[in-house]
Amino acid sequence: MGEGWGEGEYPMTTQTKFQLKPVTTVGFVADQGGRGFHLPTDFVIRSDGRIFVASRSNTTALDIVGIQMATIDHEFFGQIGGYGSAPGQMIWPSALAMDRDENLYLGDDFLQRITVYDREGKVQTTWGTKGTADGEFDGVSGLLFDQDDNMLLVDHRNHRIQKLTKDGQFLDKWGSHGDGDGQFNLPWGITQAPDGHIYVADWRNDRIQKFTSDGEFVAKFGTSGDGDGQFNRPSGLAVDSEGNMYVADWMNQRIQVLDPEGGFIQKIRGNAILGAWAVEYLEANADELEARSKFVPIFDTDTEDPGETSARIEPYFWDPIRVALDDQERVYILETGRHRFQVYEKA
Amino acid sequence: MTTVHEKQDVALTAHLLRRAGFGATPDELDHYMGMSYEDAVEELLAKKASVDIPHDLIRRYHVEQSDLRNGQAAGAHWVFRMVNTDAVLNEKMCLFWHRIFATAATKLIQARMVTNQVDMFREYGMGSFRDLLIQLSRDPAMLMWLDNQDNHMDSINENYGREILELFSMGVGNYTEEDIKECSRAFTGWRVVNPDYMSIKMRNNTARPYGYIAWQFEYDDEDHDHEDKTFLGETGDFNGEDVVDIICRQPATARFIARHLYHFFVADELPVPQWPHFDPIDPEAIEIMSQAYFDSGYDISAMLRAMFNSDFFKSEASRFARIKSPAEMVVGTLRLAGPTDLPSTDTYAAAGACAAMGQGLLNPPSVEGWQGGSEWINTGAYVQRVNFASRVLNDPDKPGIRDMIDRIAERSGGQPMSPEQVVDACLDILGPLPVVESTRAGLIDYASKWGDMSFPDPDTDRHIVTLIQLIVTTQEYQTA
Repeated sequence: MGEGWGEGEYPMTTQTKFQLKPVTTVGFVADQGGRGFHLPTDFVIRSDGRIFVASRSNTTALDIVGIQMATIDHEFFGQIGGYGSAPGQMIWPSALAMDRDENLYLGDDFLQRITVYDREGKVQTTWGTKGTADGEFDGVSGLLFDQDDNMLLVDHRNHRIQKLTKDGQFLDKWGSHGDGDGQFNLPWGITQAPDGHIYVADWRNDRIQKFTSDGEFVAKFGTSGDGDGQFNRPSGLAVDSEGNMYVADWMNQRIQVLDPEGGFIQKIRGNAILGAWAVEYLEANADELEARSKFVPIFDTDTEDPGETSARIEPYFWDPIRVALDDQERVYILETGRHRFQVYEKA
Repeated sequence: MTTVHEKQDVALTAHLLRRAGFGATPDELDHYMGMSYEDAVEELLAKKASVDIPHDLIRRYHVEQSDLRNGQAAGAHWVFRMVNTDAVLNEKMCLFWHRIFATAATKLIQARMVTNQVDMFREYGMGSFRDLLIQLSRDPAMLMWLDNQDNHMDSINENYGREILELFSMGVGNYTEEDIKECSRAFTGWRVVNPDYMSIKMRNNTARPYGYIAWQFEYDDEDHDHEDKTFLGETGDFNGEDVVDIICRQPATARFIARHLYHFFVADELPVPQWPHFDPIDPEAIEIMSQAYFDSGYDISAMLRAMFNSDFFKSEASRFARIKSPAEMVVGTLRLAGPTDLPSTDTYAAAGACAAMGQGLLNPPSVEGWQGGSEWINTGAYVQRVNFASRVLNDPDKPGIRDMIDRIAERSGGQPMSPEQVVDACLDILGPLPVVESTRAGLIDYASKWGDMSFPDPDTDRHIVTLIQLIVTTQEYQTA
């Protein structure tokens, strides 16, 4: 196709320890159905490499609301669930996680509930009650199964994390509204490092907080801003076996890589290429393919707004919302605005 | 005790806020009654769009308002801002320019571009008309809407060159067909980045492969016609900016914009296509505003100041003489109910209601925009209006309604109020709204079945909500 990055063309910053380099791009706007995603909000990678992507879609494309399944090799396996409030359906899918038995858990911010699907995608159960009491929640925005196979639920409008059993029984909680250590302001994504520490994207406090597996505050990283190591509404992150953090710096429209102490390593604005689904589409639409031969994807924009810049520059991240690592510690970054994920690896 | 003089002041300030804003909530009326009328005008002119619109929350909860691709999301996005802003005149001016420089998301496919155009109106819509016309001519939505990406040095496309004269600045009868050609030549090379690919994505209505790509203005000097042009009697190697300068110097431009302002803010004029054939309703008003235009160096705020401070605007005859546009009615009603919490589907319902009443935001029916006036009202639209207002003002615990009930309770002085007193208090707090006597009598008759009403009392709360719902069905509530 003549598009993509050349050797050394991806953005590099201070050489510290390692850099991420792009591997591939998987996705396609499925606003009219078919293969791809539409305004995805979360994803999870199963042990066999199958990727489950929750598409929120919009009011004019409700058929695409659901959980699509794909792989990094551009295989596509269709969709679980659909739009609605019946068991197995969803309105505002907001969070995904997988337990040790590889059952899939979906959080729905509109229906205020958790839906559980088995490994084959069949609905097992649905539970959840809106509220502030123990075990109740208001706006599930992140889900995680910890190393003990308990659920950690980001109960974001209650500004807390709750630890629940798989069937929703309350075990523990931590956090309250505020900007002190261990407090939250509308937290979003959550992850657990291989060493057991829990990390939370403390969204409206523009920081990452690190906790023990029992919720004891350990450290915080980042301040408000767009400088190196600063954040503007971080939405999710992943942490590798060395403790390096890969943060979706959502409103700065970039990924930041930080070392275990929070030291800045790298920032990435995005380097998407045309993935296999995109290539196939263009090859089947000769007029668009021809026009695209003169297309200059990256140009100087006349706006200071990172979001507007992302709207104009197709290869850049547009609303990078979640980060996850596969078993090779390749870094997958899901973008709501571009209906795809970009994959990077250490170099 | 309220004096006659104070009542007149309240009525005048409420009139100003219906026209320069979306009608006054009791808090807004209190605020502006704390200053002179002239100072109120100045504050309305000075207030710019708040920076405290919570874009982060909006985008987090309503993800489709981040890419703003579909019209429903973009309409809801604008409704949220109109309902929650304190810079009401700034928003009204966005509606004003949206009606004149009518650009529709249907052809452009991505409503985001029209939203960006409205953002531009928010920034430039109350300043120099020259600056605004330059920005409009560079606006990617306008360039694609009127095909200027097909306006080349060796083959002009006259679409934008025609409309900037006919619909956006001077009006029919003030230029020739030759002027249109020369104007178009001046705008050759004004296009968007990647014009071929952007055009074909628009033509094919496809977001594939990775969603729409927002457009950016680009000037291609190699595609610009550098030969001399003769435009409105002046000759030179004119580019787009030069043409705009010449347009802005024309008395016809001042009169055209003044008549539009009069049509939008003072009284419903004839439909725009009839303007070349009929004099304005109030030629003197047009002259006053035109003079302000030239005296100020084409400043729109100066025209607004002259208009709001004039006798023709303040006169009793002009009050409640305009039919509210759907957006004015919907937004004003939502503002009465109180601020919008996020996440909320109310803004989507409101944008849908505007469309059902004939004013799909970001989606005008044609380049001529909406005619307005009596065309806003037909049987179906009236039912939509009444149903919407009644549905929104349905809950005594909505903050705006609670505030109105509390204010009525305060007036009671701790004593029970008669049905007549409660009806009058409701009419007063909703405007004040001077309904015809038969309507008032009907309301009192309806309320009499409740007898005297005490405070605090949940039954009284419900009765007041019912009265408010009845009052917003009246003809008077549909006028501004």
